[in-house]
Amino acid sequence: MTPLTITSRDAATGPVLEITGDLDYTSAPELRQLLDQLTLMAGQQLVLDLTGLAFCDSSGISALLAARSRAMEQDATVALAAVPANTARILRIVGLDRVFALYPDAAAAVARASVTDLTA
Amino acid sequence: MMGCTDQTSEPGGERDAHAADAVFTSLLEDSAEELYEQAPCGYLSTLMDGTIAKINATLLDWLGLEGSQVVGRMRFTDLLTVGGKLYHETHFAPLLQMQGEVSGIALDLKAADGARLPVLVTSKVKTSQQGEPLLIRTTVFDARDRRAYEAELLRGRTAAEEARRQAEEARRQAEADRARLQEALAVLQQSLLPSALPEIPGLEAGSYYHTASPDLLGGDFYDLFALDGKRWAFFLGDVCGKGPQAAAATSLTRYTLRAAALHDPDPVSVLSTLNMVLHERYSSGDSRYCTAVFGVLEHGEDHVSVQLASGGHPAALVQRADGSAEFLPTPGGMLIGVLPRAEFTATRTELRPGDTLLLYTDGLTEARTGPERELYGEEALHAFTAAQPAAGPQALVTALTGLLAGFGDGLDDDTALLALGMPPVSAPAPDSET
Repeated sequence: MTPLTITSRDAATGPVLEITGDLDYTSAPELRQLLDQLTLMAGQQLVLDLTGLAFCDSSGISALLAARSRAMEQDATVALAAVPANTARILRIVGLDRVFALYPDAAAAVARASVTDLTA
Repeated sequence: MMGCTDQTSEPGGERDAHAADAVFTSLLEDSAEELYEQAPCGYLSTLMDGTIAKINATLLDWLGLEGSQVVGRMRFTDLLTVGGKLYHETHFAPLLQMQGEVSGIALDLKAADGARLPVLVTSKVKTSQQGEPLLIRTTVFDARDRRAYEAELLRGRTAAEEARRQAEEARRQAEADRARLQEALAVLQQSLLPSALPEIPGLEAGSYYHTASPDLLGGDFYDLFALDGKRWAFFLGDVCGKGPQAAAATSLTRYTLRAAALHDPDPVSVLSTLNMVLHERYSSGDSRYCTAVFGVLEHGEDHVSVQLASGGHPAALVQRADGSAEFLPTPGGMLIGVLPRAEFTATRTELRPGDTLLLYTDGLTEARTGPERELYGEEALHAFTAAQPAAGPQALVTALTGLLAGFGDGLDDDTALLALGMPPVSAPAPDSET
């Protein structure tokens, strides 16, 4: 068990949340609470950087989906960066690999979003 | 030498003592009479029948009476409250008669103005030289402070006992509440699962449900039921989250699946209906999703055909009679309830005698095993199943139940198992087991 820590930073394209540790039944509410307080501007991209994600259960997946709905409510988008193999496998099983934009790392997610921004 | 010193000092010592006595006497202006009357306690002497013969000023002052009202006119018991009289009669007087003295007895005096005066009473019988009782001498000490203190102690003790009683009552109540809650949870949990699987001719079924915590309702569910004379529907799934909200969503899911199946049993269409219902019901705020496998069984001539679809659920596994095992992949089947329209993937297979179809929730494959707490995983489940003798659904469920028990703490999620199959041809009649 690794405790969950979430650090937030601002990229040019919108906030980046670095999620480290276990995202499970006990810790997922922490991410949900943070998301509730998060204000996104229309067209921004929220990046969840999962490089340090040690474990993610169904409650964790629900929290990721909560991030998606939160972003959509505010006309923003969401991207998952550096999804660990285990979680990627679960996302694939539940068909969410086609619902989330996935990137190998946060930099790629931000770069991709700025390109979209320019073309838009 | 020592003796000499002592002798010389003696006359000097005697002189000093006399001088001190004189100083004290002049200082106190003392007399026996004065000491009696103004003593810091009450004195009285009574005849053997209780008639008061002598009483000091201190006690008269406490009582608010004159000597002339009391002496020769009242008995000691006339000074007592009703309760005091009774106690005097039943305890004090008999004790005094037996022992010749009684000490430190708490009694209440009644003053002239009706006020109650708590006192401690000590009495002693004065006898003649022949041992005849002559009179009773009594001292009376003001015990107001002491009684107040005792009353305070008593109140304190009563309060403490009351607090203890209330705490005990609260604990009992909490225990009763907890038992009731556990009972309600158990009933609710049971309502999410069939109480017993139906008997299906030519088909064997086995199931198992593991609850990770008795305090948290799980979100796993399964069912098996008749569609018509020759077809049977089954499903197994997992609603995200735990607790009452998850249980409510599980209940909605279960009955939606049942109703949808009766309307149109096509697995993809059933899961699409569930997706629509969950998405609509939970689109605002508190989202609830689930993963599920839904399927239909139909008897063929020498086999049972299985048609199933999955929404985001781990692939079903088939144990074959020949000792092999295979997954039934349904790639692209989506988590149910997330998107307004979701895709589900269907697949089909045939079960022949000795083949068993196994559905499970991810509590099994996501269990952590070994010192490194590795995920148990689908490959391990495949290997375990292939290694089991093809002895039918109930035997496979029993083997898996043993496997789950072996996970111990590593199994921290609810886990549901549902196995369906045609009994092995050569197997001993399994009728007694069902």
